[in-house]
Parts: sequence; C-alpha cells; structure tokens
Amino acid sequence: MRRWPVIVVAAAALGALSCAVAYQHIVPRQDEQQGEQDGEPKGSWQEIAWSFPRDGWPAGRAFRCRGASCGDGIEVYVRPKIGFCNCDRGVADDDEVDRVADLDLLSEHFTPIEAGDVISVADMPGRSRAYDLEMTGGTRHAAIGIAVSRRCDLLVAVAHGKGDAMSVRRGALALLGETEMTRWMMAAMEGR
Amino acid sequence: MSGRLKLAASFAICFLASSGIAFAQQQVIGAPPEALNMKLVGTSDLQARSAYQPTIHHQGDRWIAYIGHHGGSDEVPAPVNPHTGKAEPNGTSIVDVTDPSQPKYLRHLPGQEGKYEGGGAQMVRICDGKALPKGDRNAVYMLRTFGGKAHEIWNVADPTGPVLITRIAGLKDTHKSWWECDTGIAFLVSGAPDWRTRRMTQVYDLSDPAHPQKIRDFGLPGQEPGSTGAVPTELHGPISTGPSGNRVYFGYGTNKGGILQIVDREKLLNGPKEPTPDNLRSPEIARLTMSPFIGAHTTFPMPGMPIAEFARDKDGKTRDIVMIVNESILNECNEPRQMVWFADITVEKAPMMISSYTVPEASGTFCERGGRFGAHSSNESMAQVFYKKMAFISFFNAGVRALDIRDPYHPREVGYFIPSITAATDKRCVKIDGKDRCKVAIQTNNVETDARGYIYIVDRANTGLHILELTGPARAVAGLP
Repeated sequence: MRRWPVIVVAAAALGALSCAVAYQHIVPRQDEQQGEQDGEPKGSWQEIAWSFPRDGWPAGRAFRCRGASCGDGIEVYVRPKIGFCNCDRGVADDDEVDRVADLDLLSEHFTPIEAGDVISVADMPGRSRAYDLEMTGGTRHAAIGIAVSRRCDLLVAVAHGKGDAMSVRRGALALLGETEMTRWMMAAMEGR
Repeated sequence: MSGRLKLAASFAICFLASSGIAFAQQQVIGAPPEALNMKLVGTSDLQARSAYQPTIHHQGDRWIAYIGHHGGSDEVPAPVNPHTGKAEPNGTSIVDVTDPSQPKYLRHLPGQEGKYEGGGAQMVRICDGKALPKGDRNAVYMLRTFGGKAHEIWNVADPTGPVLITRIAGLKDTHKSWWECDTGIAFLVSGAPDWRTRRMTQVYDLSDPAHPQKIRDFGLPGQEPGSTGAVPTELHGPISTGPSGNRVYFGYGTNKGGILQIVDREKLLNGPKEPTPDNLRSPEIARLTMSPFIGAHTTFPMPGMPIAEFARDKDGKTRDIVMIVNESILNECNEPRQMVWFADITVEKAPMMISSYTVPEASGTFCERGGRFGAHSSNESMAQVFYKKMAFISFFNAGVRALDIRDPYHPREVGYFIPSITAATDKRCVKIDGKDRCKVAIQTNNVETDARGYIYIVDRANTGLHILELTGPARAVAGLP
C-alpha cells in the first residue's frame, strides 16, 4: 500500500519529463514538416538558453537554427514587453523598432540598412527592420528587429546571423509563424 | 469543546476572516474614505473626466485649480459637459477653490480628441503676466499640452473665458513640461518629429508668450536625429531651479530604465545648440542611472537641506537632495514595485541613493484591490509651507501618502488619504485566461499643494478632485497651527 505514492510520483515525474522532451522537439518537427511541404529543406530550430543578464523585462525564449536554409546559423530572441507600447498608435515607426526591439542586447552598435516594413506576427501588427550589427570583436552580423503590439503591450524579437539580412528575416518570421510559437506568444502576451 | 462546536467555531472564524479580507481588498460605494492624519475638505467630480495633473494658482484674490485630463475612455470618449450640454473631449478643468470646502467648477476647456493618453490635455502650468519679463501684465498664462500633438498657451485672466494665445504644434508626443515664471524659459517635453525618441526636451523662451522663441532641442546622446545604435530611455519631465540654482533635473523613464540627469542650466541655454552628441553631453554634470526596474517620473530638487543628525558634523551638515518618484503602469502589481527614492547629490559628480519609501502592500492588500498600486508623482510646489518638510505622493489605489522628509535619510509616513469610490469611478481590468477581469478602485494620479497648506489630489479613474488638509501629528510636522 505504501508503494502507491512512490509509484504515482515517479509516474508523474516521468510524464513531466516526457512532455518537456516532446515540447523541446515540437518546433523543429513542425519546421521540418513545413519545409517538406514547400519542397525546400529547412533548418532545424533548437531552443537555447536566454543568455542575457537580467534587465528591465523578464527573460523570453531563444532559438538557434542550423541547417541548409540558415547559412551559418540564425539566433532569435523573443519576449513580451507588457505595458511598453503606445496604446493608440501601436508600433508607429521605424524609430520605435530601433528603441524597443532588443537589438541592444546583442550590441549597442547597430545601424539600420533600410526603412522597415509593416508586418504581422500572431495577428499582431507592427514593423520589422534590418540592421547591420557590430558584434564584440568587430565582427559584423545581419540583424532583424521585430516589434508588434496589441493594445498597450509589445512583443519584440531580434534575430541575427552571419548571412544576409533577407535570409535572417525569412528564417525569423518562419519560426515566429509556427503554430506552437504563435500559441506561446499569445499566452505570453496575456501573462500566462 | 465538542466536535460540533469546534466545527461551528472554525466556520465562523473562516467567514469573518474572509469577509474582513474582502472588505480590505475591495472598495465599495458608500464606504467612508480611509485616512490617517488627513481629512477631506471639499470635492469636485470634474465631470467624471480622467485626471492627470492639478496646478493651483493664487490669481488675484482667488485660488484657481487648473486640472489637466487624459483622453476619454472606450465607453465614454467625450463626456458631456453639463455647463454646455455638449459632449466634449477631455481637456482642462478650471475650478475656483478659493473656498476649498465649496469648489466651483468654472469651465471645461476641451483638449485633443482621442482616448486615454492619445487625447486630452494632461499637463498644465500657470504664470502671471506680471511675473514674465515680456508678458502682458494683466494676463495670466496657462501653458498646457494639447494631446500629444502640441503645446498651447492661453490667457486665463478670466478663468471662465480662456483665450488662445499661441500654439507650438507638429510634435510626436508631449508631456510634463516645466516653465520658469520669472524668466519665461520653458523646458517643453516634446517629440520633435526627426528625433529617435518619443519624448525629448525643446527649450523655449516663452517670456513673451505671444511670440515663442525656440532656443534648442535637447536629449540624451543617441536620441538625436541621425544617430544609430541603442536609444536611451525617453524623457518624462524636467524641473529647473532657475538662474539662482542654475540646475535642471531631468527625469527619464516611467516604470523602466530610470535616469536622473543633472544639467547646468546656463550651459544648456547658452552652449552650442546643434544636437550633436558632444553638444548634448556638454551641459550634463552627472547622471544617476537607476535600476532597469524603475523609472524617473518626477525628479524634485531640494537643495541645502539641513540634516538634524549631521548638525554637529564639521562638514556635510546640509545636503542637496533630489526626490525621485517612479510611475506605476500596470494593474494589480504586474511589474516591479514603483516607489519613492531619495538621492544625495551634494557631490554632484557622485549622486547616490540614500533611502526609499513605499506603501506596505499588506497594509491594504493593495495588489488585490484593482487598478494600479505604486507611486506616480509628488507635489511640485516649492511654497514654504511644505517645501523640504513634507512630501505628498500619489500612490494610485493607495491614495495619497504624506511623508515627513525633514530627514531624507529616513523618510517617514505620517498620514494618508484614500478617497471613497463613487458611481463615476471607472473599472480597471487585467487579463485572466484571456478574458478581462475588472475591479473598481481609486486611482490617485497626481497631487499638488497650495501655499495655504491644502492638498489637492485627482483621480485617473474619473472620481474627480479631493481637497484635503493635514490633521494631528502630520500638521505639526509642517509647522501648521
């Protein structure tokens, strides 16, 4: 009789572990499926640790893509910034992307390559913009800043890689467009 | 005690405890205000308009309160003005408070159409024409924001019939400006279209309000046009000590990334004006970078404070203090606590935080009452009645808090007042499982004092204006009879 609690706890722990492992692989699998549908080999996204020190906002989620379509690799960092947006205007202009899109986590030195674009992520409108990023040691990366909003709240993402800005942008938006990511972003915007 | 008796007693205790907690958490219409050493003198409903900033002006033999409003709400974008019978976008309320027990609502001056911070006319400052170097001696000038798009100056010598004098328009955003009445120099919180930040400073000579003269644009390096890289925190508001103090204290940030910037006023006004990084750095004496968790809504200077504890010290017996007030933004404690900080800036190059103050959350279970809980602003009057003795802090659902700041190393709460809610008090919501869950609570937004010793608080959730006075020990702190 006394073994029951031990068995239940062990089963729950195993179940949780299985869910965690499955969860870690959901994104790559969906990405691969999408790639197959498009007839184009896609890179493989893996969730990695949020590597930045604590700042004014809670940490978000980070992903790295390696594979044919990711060149030498793309990293994407995404998080909500609750209460950080103009409630009426939303992400009004490219300057706002410069200010909020977490590029400064990667480097204080970034220069926009061109004017940004209107985009939508998880049904939230906003803008994205391409940058030339000067990394520590003087190496240069292409980066994409993304900022979308819902009422007074922002969702921001920054992506960077050694490839060209267009491929970084394409890769980042593909990741953010995944069903599982959309579900997580919606929940994160509601504080869940 | 029998088993049944124990069970009954347990139920009774649980019921009483839970109802007590519920009472503490949630305000109820008809319940009395919560107060300590402060009492209500008079009220005005301000036509149920969301209020930002009150400014009280001694105008001839009258005392007039000018109250800036946010834009309307989703439900009521433009409340009806009972005086005109028309729906008017929120703007500026003008109230005669000569008799604070019987405030008389004189005039509503509509502001920019738009909801919440997207409309209204939040900020207001007043200067007498006879104080300004080139003003009309018979005029009383009201500087106000017009939504985010413009600054306006009105002649309110007749507070029932304001006359527009001038408008400075074409801006991205505006906010809590500062106007020196003795010089006319104004530090206008603006959003110049070509700057990379939503709010920065435009310094103007408004000594002749009919003919504004721009002096320069100012901000933190990285915000100026053409710059690249990280953009520093946007401005919230400055406070100047004028030519005699020769300092301007700029507060950047609301609830994040706060910066106190100490600026040499003379260099700011007369230095090179082109907004290059070097020219923007030139007038800065020092800056205090605060935790990313908090912002700098109000930076209130109190130079030369005698500190009783240091009275027998050979050096450092007086200290220059800046009180920094953060602004709470999110409802129901969904952010780091925004509170009050005291910085010793006696050695300007090395400003240092020395103390802090917050309302104990458990004293009113404020995180559960609804709306915002945390600091927003302080009184900004430097009239002798309270200056360097007491500070009043608006704390949203915790009302206004009266602090004894004579020893800024150990600020001490000596009173508070949380107004009752009314039928006009608007709800505040948070998302729970994707759905709005709303509560109704007082949202004391801003506070100001007058030279007579009255305290004026206004409510962001449409409950209006409450005029208060100190009682008991708090009155003694201020030296009031």
